[in-house]
Amino acid sequence: MTKKENLLKGLVKENPLFVSVLGMCPSLAVTTSLENALGMGIGVFFVLVLSNFTVSLIMSSPKLAELVKPVRIPVYIVIIATLVSVVEMLMHAFLIDLYNALGVFIPLIVVNCIILGRAEAFASENKPVDSVLDGIGMALGFTAAISLISIFREFIGKGTITVWGDAVLNLKFIFNFLNIEPISMFVQPVGAFLSFGLILATLTAIGNKRKEKMAKGVKANG
Amino acid sequence: MNKGLRSGLVLLVLGIISGTLLAFVNYFTAPVIAVLEEQAQYDALKEFYYDVDDPNYASFKLSDDYNLSKVDIEDDYIQSIFVVKSKDSGEVSLGYLVSANGYSSDAPVAMLIVVDSDLSIRGYKVISHKETSGFGADIVDNDFNINVITDLSGFDSVAHVTFTSNAIYECFYQVSLRVVADFGGDLVD
Repeated sequence: MTKKENLLKGLVKENPLFVSVLGMCPSLAVTTSLENALGMGIGVFFVLVLSNFTVSLIMSSPKLAELVKPVRIPVYIVIIATLVSVVEMLMHAFLIDLYNALGVFIPLIVVNCIILGRAEAFASENKPVDSVLDGIGMALGFTAAISLISIFREFIGKGTITVWGDAVLNLKFIFNFLNIEPISMFVQPVGAFLSFGLILATLTAIGNKRKEKMAKGVKANG
Repeated sequence: MNKGLRSGLVLLVLGIISGTLLAFVNYFTAPVIAVLEEQAQYDALKEFYYDVDDPNYASFKLSDDYNLSKVDIEDDYIQSIFVVKSKDSGEVSLGYLVSANGYSSDAPVAMLIVVDSDLSIRGYKVISHKETSGFGADIVDNDFNINVITDLSGFDSVAHVTFTSNAIYECFYQVSLRVVADFGGDLVD
């Protein structure tokens, strides 16, 4: 796999949320606003890239790899937990509003399947540079996915899109034009599942259509 | 070397490295967090003296109209007492920064309870809820003037945590034990 493919596969082809369906719990919980999704994305980006790099660095040395292999899962968890604690302390100190908004979901990054999954499935068997690229791609794919869900939920549920802090796009005029009210259920937990289901179904339908087209093209050419 | 011992040593070394890294990050974030927490206490105190809906609320300074002082207390529950004295009338209120347990044992639910000199409660607010990181956060910054609570279970409903009311009850109880003495003379150490 080339470096470019390594970087890009997490965005669409192997998107951790919409394809692998990993890290669902925090993803559904924090997607009540775009700001929360971006904050979570930044946290996951930092942890995923650094944990992939650290794990890959350790495992690329044959001597260290031999020492770590029998206890590799606890080692991964310690590395990830340390990085998450660093993120938590930095957010508490410098992004207090985001820290309060994300609440319990910052410490829960430790058990986000995407991070442990990439450490075990990719970083432990690949070089540090490839692992960093994989981490960047997966984190961007994850951030894009939760941003999409949060934009959908916040727009339908509140008629606004909170980009960051006071930067709020007020799109209520669309609802006023249609003479309807925003459906607040979409910013509630039940709305998270509905939104995720609707977006996943749409993406799957688009994917299937594409495959169908490609199959038809192959048949016609064949 | 024994395999188990070797694995233990690997984890020990990793733990030491992780601990050192966390200590380093904590070294420069802890003072910033402490300043933010103190600012949050003063912000909470300000809410009891001005109308938060006033468009100029952000520009109001408590120190313009009141003499403020903070007394740190060595007590299991009460950490500090804010003494707020009106510059006009000379009337004194006491703001108790008090923490108590809801469930665990490190007093993670912190409240600010402001009592006027006639021993009536001017207002109260939950400053932090750290029983489990993130849980109970909904009660922090809740305006109890709008969401009036009439019984203890109401606090649990706001926090979405069933043991929050234990801590809130304890906070009020601890303040009640000393408030008369505090207004009667010097602060009880």
